[in-house]
Amino acid sequence: MSEQRFATTLLIPGGLWLLLCFAVPLGLVLAASFGSTDDLGNTIYGWHPDNYRQAFDPLFVPVLLRSVGYALATVALCLLIGYPVAYYIARYGGRWKHMLIALVVLPFFVNYLVRTYAWVAMLADEGLVNGAITNLGIRDSGIKFLNTDFAVIGGLVYGYLAFMILPIYAAIDRMDQALVEAGKDLYGTPWNTFRHVTWPATFQGVLAGAVLVFLPAVGDFISAQLLGGPGTYMVGNLIQQQFLGADNWPFGAALTTLLMAFLSVWMVLYLRSAARASRETAL
Amino acid sequence: MSATTAPKPFDRPRFLPVFTGLFFVFMFAPIVIVALFSFNSTKSLQRFEGFSLMWYQRFFEDSSLRESLFASIEIAFVTMVAATALGTMLAFALVRARTRWAGTANVLMLIPLVTPEIVAAVSALVLFTQVGLQLSLETVMIAHITFSISYVTVVVRARLAALNPEVEQAALDLGATRWGTLRLVTLPELWPAIVAAALLTFALSFDDFVLSFFTTGESPQPLPVRIYSAIRFGVTPTINAIGTMMLTVSAALIALAIFLPRLLGRRESGLGVLVGREGA
Repeated sequence: MSEQRFATTLLIPGGLWLLLCFAVPLGLVLAASFGSTDDLGNTIYGWHPDNYRQAFDPLFVPVLLRSVGYALATVALCLLIGYPVAYYIARYGGRWKHMLIALVVLPFFVNYLVRTYAWVAMLADEGLVNGAITNLGIRDSGIKFLNTDFAVIGGLVYGYLAFMILPIYAAIDRMDQALVEAGKDLYGTPWNTFRHVTWPATFQGVLAGAVLVFLPAVGDFISAQLLGGPGTYMVGNLIQQQFLGADNWPFGAALTTLLMAFLSVWMVLYLRSAARASRETAL
Repeated sequence: MSATTAPKPFDRPRFLPVFTGLFFVFMFAPIVIVALFSFNSTKSLQRFEGFSLMWYQRFFEDSSLRESLFASIEIAFVTMVAATALGTMLAFALVRARTRWAGTANVLMLIPLVTPEIVAAVSALVLFTQVGLQLSLETVMIAHITFSISYVTVVVRARLAALNPEVEQAALDLGATRWGTLRLVTLPELWPAIVAAALLTFALSFDDFVLSFFTTGESPQPLPVRIYSAIRFGVTPTINAIGTMMLTVSAALIALAIFLPRLLGRRESGLGVLVGREGA
């Protein structure tokens, strides 16, 4: 009994902090999304669903669609790059396996801004790549890399690739190698063995990776801000403008609520599968 | 993996090692180039003209940038201490408490991990404005602590769940007090995870841009916010120098998190603790 009381007491500080500093503020954003602004730009709480109508104005719909499109492209590219890398490290890494996976994680701990800046410095009109192109005489003038869809999606892939590799690596590493041997013994071609054995066995990892990349990519605004321009803005840029530039907090809050509502489906799916996975490994 | 299932050489798709090699070049080349050009003796980012520390000197001669560096360290330190304490307590409660509140707290703890940072940042800003808190270093700290708690809880909980509760029970049966058991039995088993979580928290807070950007006051601003303004202003080697220093700090912290438990005679590596898997 006192054991239980002790454990329950320890629930209070962290739980209360998360309630007051995370859950309550989310509620405030929801409330503010139905508000309006006074002449000074302060938020007045009330009932103005117009903020949501404004979000689906033809002016902003392309931004919302672009956010989802960029994020989906990012997920696809991360999967194309990440799966072979995870597969190689898990299967053939041997005693270097842990070292290699640490090397995958390492760049991820370099500040995201600095990593994005690295690409800006390389791809800028006066940057390293264009310098090489003109100096080597490949072309007379450089190539315009920045301010393109390609640059923004590239920045997102570079930023979130590790989130895709880690769960896939874990899934392949956990998988019973004998299953692949069995597939081969049964005269499966490498492709068929992969398609019917390895892929289904690691699909949970792929799903987890896809969600872990998709969530931050949809809400990202740094890549579009630094590698792109107004023509590549995503919903994150729009939200940032409303709060830190245009001072239209209710509209910004409505966009934030829409983003959160759109993502909550994926969050729930992910948290469910993560809970199931942790139960399975506990057994 | 046992030796009998080791693939024969001709089973190994040949493009995989090449592809993985190219992947590592793609991941590291930009970072290496940033670091390299921070030592350039001219302003050029296209051609390396000679070794020089002038951009670092520039940084340390700028008193407002120096203040930003100290502000970032202060924020990261306070965040580390507070979030590690709160997160460890929460981890303990989530593993041991049997009330239905534990389930609610568990969900509340997991959601921040999958919430896009911009949502967390916007809600923190709305909260601070609503309760009338002036934006400052303290508001940045509050925002950082909020998102760091979950990381600490997840890392510590993984270790805690792997402990044998009977050892604690034995201590209690032998007349140890609840606190004595915690101090002498549980915490010594937990500390590699706690240290790893604390270092991770420091690194995340020190590196964070989005939360800081929305919740910081005018001056001094955390270093990443300064980098952001500087990049928008134009690309200069001073940014390379700041970036290189920040990545050195992060790399040192992560290396410490991985190797410290090992150096002090623990069998498990910090990496396994960090990615939540034992015995990695």
